[in-house]
Amino acid sequence: MSPTSGRLNLLLSHEAMLAILLAVTLLILSLLSDSFFSTANLLNQVRLTAEIGLITLAMTLVIITGGIDLSVGSIAGLSAIMLGLLWQKAGLPLPLAAVTSLGIAVLAGLGNGVIITRFRVPPLIATLATMAFYRGLAEGFSQSRSVRGYPEGFYILGQGEVLGLPTQVWILIVAAVLVGTALSATAFGRTVFAIGANETAARFSSLPVDRVKLIVYGLSGFMSGLSGLLLVSRVTTTRSDMGMGWELDAITAVVLGGASIFGGRGTVLGSVLALALIQCLKSGLSLAGVKADGTIVLIGLFLIGAVLLGNLMDRIAAR
Amino acid sequence: MIPLRVTDVSKSYGGVQALKPTSFDVRAGEIHALLGENGAGKSTLIRIMSGLIAPDSGAIEIDGEIVHFRSPRDATRHGVVTVHQELLLFPDLSIAENICMADDAGPFGHIDRDAQVRKARQLLAELDSADLDPEMPVRHLSVAQRQRVEIARALGRQAKVLIMDEPTASLADADVARLVAIVQRLRGRGVGIVYVSHKLSEVRLLADRVTVLRDGRFVDTREAKGMTEADMIALMVGRSISELYPKGESRIGAEVLRVDGLTLAPRVRNISFTLRAGEILGLAGLVGAGRTEVARLLFGLDRPSSGRIFLDGREVSVSSPEAAVALGIAYVPEDRGAQGLVKTMPVSANVTMASLGQLLRGPFLSRSTEYAAGAEAIRRLGIRAPRGPQHLAGKLSGGNQQKVVIAKWLRTAPRVLILDEPTRGVDVGAKAEIHALMGDLTRQGLAILMISSELPEVLGMSDRVLVVSQGRMTGLFERADATPERVGAAMVAEMQEATAS
Amino acid sequence: MTAIPHRSSQGRIGRALVGHGQVLVVLGAIIALFIGVSFVNARFLSPANLTTIFSGNAYIAVAAIGMTMVIITGHIDVSVGALIGVLATVAGTLAVAGWPMWLVWLAPLVIGVAVNAAAGWLVAYAHIPSIVLTLGLLSILKGGLIVVTGGEWITDLPPGFFLAQRDVFGLPLPLVVMTVLTLAAAWWMAHFRFGRTIYAVGSNLEAARAIGISVERTTVGVFALHGLFAGISAVLFATQLTTIQSTVPPNLELVIITACVIGGVSILGGVGTVIGAALATIFFATITSAMIFTNVSAYWLRAVIGGLILITVLADVARRRGQA
Repeated sequence: MSPTSGRLNLLLSHEAMLAILLAVTLLILSLLSDSFFSTANLLNQVRLTAEIGLITLAMTLVIITGGIDLSVGSIAGLSAIMLGLLWQKAGLPLPLAAVTSLGIAVLAGLGNGVIITRFRVPPLIATLATMAFYRGLAEGFSQSRSVRGYPEGFYILGQGEVLGLPTQVWILIVAAVLVGTALSATAFGRTVFAIGANETAARFSSLPVDRVKLIVYGLSGFMSGLSGLLLVSRVTTTRSDMGMGWELDAITAVVLGGASIFGGRGTVLGSVLALALIQCLKSGLSLAGVKADGTIVLIGLFLIGAVLLGNLMDRIAAR
Repeated sequence: MIPLRVTDVSKSYGGVQALKPTSFDVRAGEIHALLGENGAGKSTLIRIMSGLIAPDSGAIEIDGEIVHFRSPRDATRHGVVTVHQELLLFPDLSIAENICMADDAGPFGHIDRDAQVRKARQLLAELDSADLDPEMPVRHLSVAQRQRVEIARALGRQAKVLIMDEPTASLADADVARLVAIVQRLRGRGVGIVYVSHKLSEVRLLADRVTVLRDGRFVDTREAKGMTEADMIALMVGRSISELYPKGESRIGAEVLRVDGLTLAPRVRNISFTLRAGEILGLAGLVGAGRTEVARLLFGLDRPSSGRIFLDGREVSVSSPEAAVALGIAYVPEDRGAQGLVKTMPVSANVTMASLGQLLRGPFLSRSTEYAAGAEAIRRLGIRAPRGPQHLAGKLSGGNQQKVVIAKWLRTAPRVLILDEPTRGVDVGAKAEIHALMGDLTRQGLAILMISSELPEVLGMSDRVLVVSQGRMTGLFERADATPERVGAAMVAEMQEATAS
Repeated sequence: MTAIPHRSSQGRIGRALVGHGQVLVVLGAIIALFIGVSFVNARFLSPANLTTIFSGNAYIAVAAIGMTMVIITGHIDVSVGALIGVLATVAGTLAVAGWPMWLVWLAPLVIGVAVNAAAGWLVAYAHIPSIVLTLGLLSILKGGLIVVTGGEWITDLPPGFFLAQRDVFGLPLPLVVMTVLTLAAAWWMAHFRFGRTIYAVGSNLEAARAIGISVERTTVGVFALHGLFAGISAVLFATQLTTIQSTVPPNLELVIITACVIGGVSILGGVGTVIGAALATIFFATITSAMIFTNVSAYWLRAVIGGLILITVLADVARRRGQA
């Protein structure tokens, strides 16, 4: 976050440790399984992780401001449902339906932001409530019926390739670069950090605190909506329970990536590395014959271990 | 029997001796005032006596027996109870629960709530505070009422010695008189009271003895009888006011800011004044009189219900801090840690925080410009930051932190600089530097509105002094007319009217 | 200038109601729902339906007791749903294995206390924020459960196992357990030292330390108690149906947390009662049932509940502003 001070710090930084951990994991997995370390498999892994990945990017900003957004999975589900309904029931052209459902997702995110900034409801409570509400809207509108049979062209988002790489890879790279740059190199990003570190001081320094928070929650809504669309395109169907539990996956990645749940600290690079590590564990272990659910256990242990280690290092550094 | 005596206690923090060997005692039924400027060692001495820290040397005696306090609870057990400035109460619990929280419970930890309420009611009655309902949550109480709850709690713990750390610092005027009566009542009951206050008029009214510390050193203990406020100031600063505030020649220019009938009831009522280029206007008044509230209105943190603000003769609307900065108004807030600084960020990030636009190269912040800005602030204001612009703001001393906040606002090239308690919690050396800086800035044509609780500072630095009391203007004095007596009288003006009527 | 309302003649009851606005709102809403829906469909008040509303959701209310304590202390636990799932499976597995029934019912309680005491220890002494720790614990429990059981359902449970299907004094046992535990916990928290300490720690950490309360020990104790209630909840949950699904009940932790918040427990700590949380649980159950009996599409159920939660939260904010 702050300009780096010294090579030792860089080496001991959370991101560096994650990168080393990731490299070791990749090495072990490639030894365990021949098929793992193939370009095709790696690209496929990115495809699978893109949806959570986009949300993780926005969640990184949310958590750095000292907030949290539990409604991301519900917004993803809502935008998926709206896409299906607007296209099939309302007869909108698919691109228009997609843009509209993205717009609804942004509105849902801004709704969170308004509740948090205007009514001063703690983010945990605000998004806990909208998590149920947005999911309820998705269920109500869909009446639990799925929408299928999208035109072939739509599947390029979730299954196709652009310039030889899966579409999601491009989307994720562009989004990560944009969000990462905005966070580390713009006045907006500086404000995000300042809000998380000391919101009152940020306000007293004439920074646009409420506006930036609105943007952050709006972005979270947008990313969730986009993830919903990617998922629909990937699995070729729309269901109202889409995106359930995504909030926990995203928060886990962000915290594992070194962000403080109390705000003021975190990086996009750390979140992305943590996300990659989680996905490697998930897929690699399943390739190596470990059951998929076993990896969830490992991720939980990783999360607690990472924070424990971080606390320990902080205490040593403070000495 | 002396209920509390400390002998030759001292304390060092990281090589700096905050308190050189000092002796102090308080007798039963006595009010012993402890005086000294910020950084004089008062709070260190209080922390030792209340069990928060252990002294490096020296002894603590209770009724003639040497004791070692391992914790505040330990001190309480020995009958030494502290009423802290930041009132340590549980806002969500009732008054009775707060008063009885540390009491022993019955079998299985059972608590008799009716007995608690009875006890609380009795203790409050002893403090002439029967108006407080013991079952009311503390959350709904004013600061003055909370303070009475804390005192009742101390009484409930059979306090032999009560340490009161600036008990009137955040009280509104009318409550001060009530507190004074309560303190006198406690003295009548034989409680020994250590009374710390910056308000010398109170000290003169209450104290039996006065002990003065300066620069971490014991200066003197004297009978209070016969001491004037001037005597006390002389002991505290070791110099006279005119030596302390070498105010240079001021070249006062045209009007920059005019405020007309500014109102946000109940704290700000019909405030009008002008501020001219090169001028320091001191805004005096007791805490809670509405000084900070005026600053908040001028900086756009609150919106006035009526009244107008003119800048260079044009009426302006200050709708937000962003608008204020755009208009050239800057505000150095009173609470440095909570409002002024982002402590986890380096000096360079802090000094550029209000002027991020200046760092932009295209859409991006320039790291090199930011670094240069930090370096320039350090050079210009003499900020002592061993790691330079990368030094974390939270790891600087109080005075240097304050310079960082001031540097942040100077980068916005303000026309009007509002300084709220600019030297609170700042050591003597840095204080002088900040005062010198204020002089330099006014010579460059800046208009300064200075809020301060230290009367000597107000009188020493200001070209004119505006006094508010209970949200109203009660006096405006030219420098030559601003004597401690006149300003002091204006500070309590409304209060006397209120009690007279 | 004194902001204290004068002692009025409304007396004890009146004062007891002050500060419990949220509880009263929920109670009023439940009563209104009962009256309104029974007009539309009289079968709403049939014993069978009342049993579903009050008894079928008792395990949520019991878990909400522990969660209330955790939130009042200033923490949160998002893993409790997974813990209940795990403990229910433990009970079922032991029952099938032929253990004595009293041990089958006791084991979840003991394990619940042990797991959450460990969690509380990590929060208190290793300074891991409770939301992060329980997020990790959620993953571990959820994944661990499926790994161990392979996701298979537990059937062939011995007939003596179904504790929650029994009656005491002519009332369903879960209803009795819920009522007794809620009232006991409310009484304990109001009239006993440790109960009071929970509020003190959540209300002002520094002040609690200053008067010698061990914040760390309190945290561990609260989490351990929370584990006990999760264990009881798991026994009720496991023994009310003829099969145990060996998966984590989806969103259970969020239902429990939401019940606490709607019941008036402040997420910032220090404020709330277990009675409010229990009422909020019944409130949700009543809404669910009411929608079925008034032929509202079940698909809108969650939207209605979500909307109500939103309204309650915003109304609570408005109410507090009015007081300030």
